[in-house]
Amino acid sequence: MQTETGKSDVTSPAGRSFSGDTPLRVAIDGGTKTVAAAPVKARASRLGFHYGSLQALKGLDMEIRDKQVTALIGPSGCGKSTFLRCFNRMHDLTPLTRYEGSIRLYPDDIDLVSKDVDPIEVRMRIGMVFQKPNPFPKSIFENVAYGLRVRGLRSKALIEEEVEKALRDAAIWDEVKDRLQSSGLSLSGGQQQRLCIARALATNPEMLLFDEPTSALDPIATARIEELITALRERVTVLIVTHNMQQAARVSDYTAFMYLGELIEFDVTSKLFTNPGKKATEDYITGRYG
Amino acid sequence: MAEGVTGLDAAVQALRLEVLAMGGLVVDQVTTAVQALLEYDRDAADLVFARERRINAYDTAIEAAGFELLARQAPVAGDLRAVLAIAHAVTDLERAGDEAKRIARFALATMSQPGFDPAVAVHRHLRHMAQQSARMLRLAIDALGRGDASIAHEVARMDREIDREFEAALRELMTVALESPRRMRATIDTVFALKSLERIGDHAKNVAERVVFIVSGDDVRHAGAAARAPAL
Repeated sequence: MQTETGKSDVTSPAGRSFSGDTPLRVAIDGGTKTVAAAPVKARASRLGFHYGSLQALKGLDMEIRDKQVTALIGPSGCGKSTFLRCFNRMHDLTPLTRYEGSIRLYPDDIDLVSKDVDPIEVRMRIGMVFQKPNPFPKSIFENVAYGLRVRGLRSKALIEEEVEKALRDAAIWDEVKDRLQSSGLSLSGGQQQRLCIARALATNPEMLLFDEPTSALDPIATARIEELITALRERVTVLIVTHNMQQAARVSDYTAFMYLGELIEFDVTSKLFTNPGKKATEDYITGRYG
Repeated sequence: MAEGVTGLDAAVQALRLEVLAMGGLVVDQVTTAVQALLEYDRDAADLVFARERRINAYDTAIEAAGFELLARQAPVAGDLRAVLAIAHAVTDLERAGDEAKRIARFALATMSQPGFDPAVAVHRHLRHMAQQSARMLRLAIDALGRGDASIAHEVARMDREIDREFEAALRELMTVALESPRRMRATIDTVFALKSLERIGDHAKNVAERVVFIVSGDDVRHAGAAARAPAL
């Protein structure tokens, strides 16, 4: 078994996808190469989740690699958004919900779903971008500065500096630098989504969660967000839920296929989209089912 | 979504049928060219030349259909492998067709020069290699039609056999060349004919290997015989 941190050599067994509890035995390029896998950023172990009497996640085991993009795919209701939301404790706001198992975040090894861990602290470290852009009804500047203030930053100069940095990182600075005091809602849909990404980036998170971030956007805005996600993986770990198979294939390094609250297959994206190990996966990604 | 799937299924199936039709024609070309050569049949040679254009038309049409399928249906997994493998198989079939044309041209040359010694000297090899290469091609196309990867092993074995026979024939022709230097041109032409048959075997092997890729996703093209065995 693998240590949680540090690079490690992984030899894959003849191109077969691995089962949930041997997550490092992934197939790379047809299984002939030994590759250095990125360290594990987060590990879900026997993760279960209940909405009242409904069990939405059933004992999920999955590893999320550091500074890589992991896509979650599967038919509606398969639990992918539920899984994503566990990472920043969004479910805490819903009554009668219950977690089982753990999601350990590395390198400090804390359990994200433990009651002892403060959800506000978790959300500072793990940002989220939603399906529909949801900027605050405030100025562009304030949208990004908000998180910095929550974090306790008071210096005006420092806040301005951080806001600019976040807007630049979200590839929207050039479009808004002359109207930072305009309302965030005055922007186009694609710009609003990038503003939301800037807002999430401002607190310098380790991980970003994207819940179908482009489903409300046109192809040009979608392409910009996808480029942005690709650029972001230089500094953050990305977990993205998408219904668009081609998007998962384009932007992710790893892909997880979920069905009925279970992880069916997890593999390197290039393998999963060219030669999936399970028939259910193939049926889903080729559009023959779901 | 259901509509799109039907479209994708139909498009992949249509592509598959086209390549099978083309494959059947190429097998005919090879057997007809060999008949021209072995039976001194001028009509057979002419038929090969006449049908060459149809093979090229298949080549162009299948490539265009595959290209359009990639653009419009964005296939993944098994569908993607099938489209790519078929596109490559078409190139091999088209080249096998070209080799048939070369053999037919050689057949006409031998007919116009009675007592074409070099060809007579290796007649047994020519006949056997011709039968073998046509059989390999038929097996490979049949495997493509049925999606049967198990045939690839047999085709690879036959390919090694045909390679050995080519070497043996070459040695005999070198003797002919040394003994009758004045027949050098005819000897070289005979080497080319044998080489064409050997190349048809290679193309058949390539097609069979593409079938393995379609079925299992394993790329066995550059694997040794030992490495290939477990994949089949």
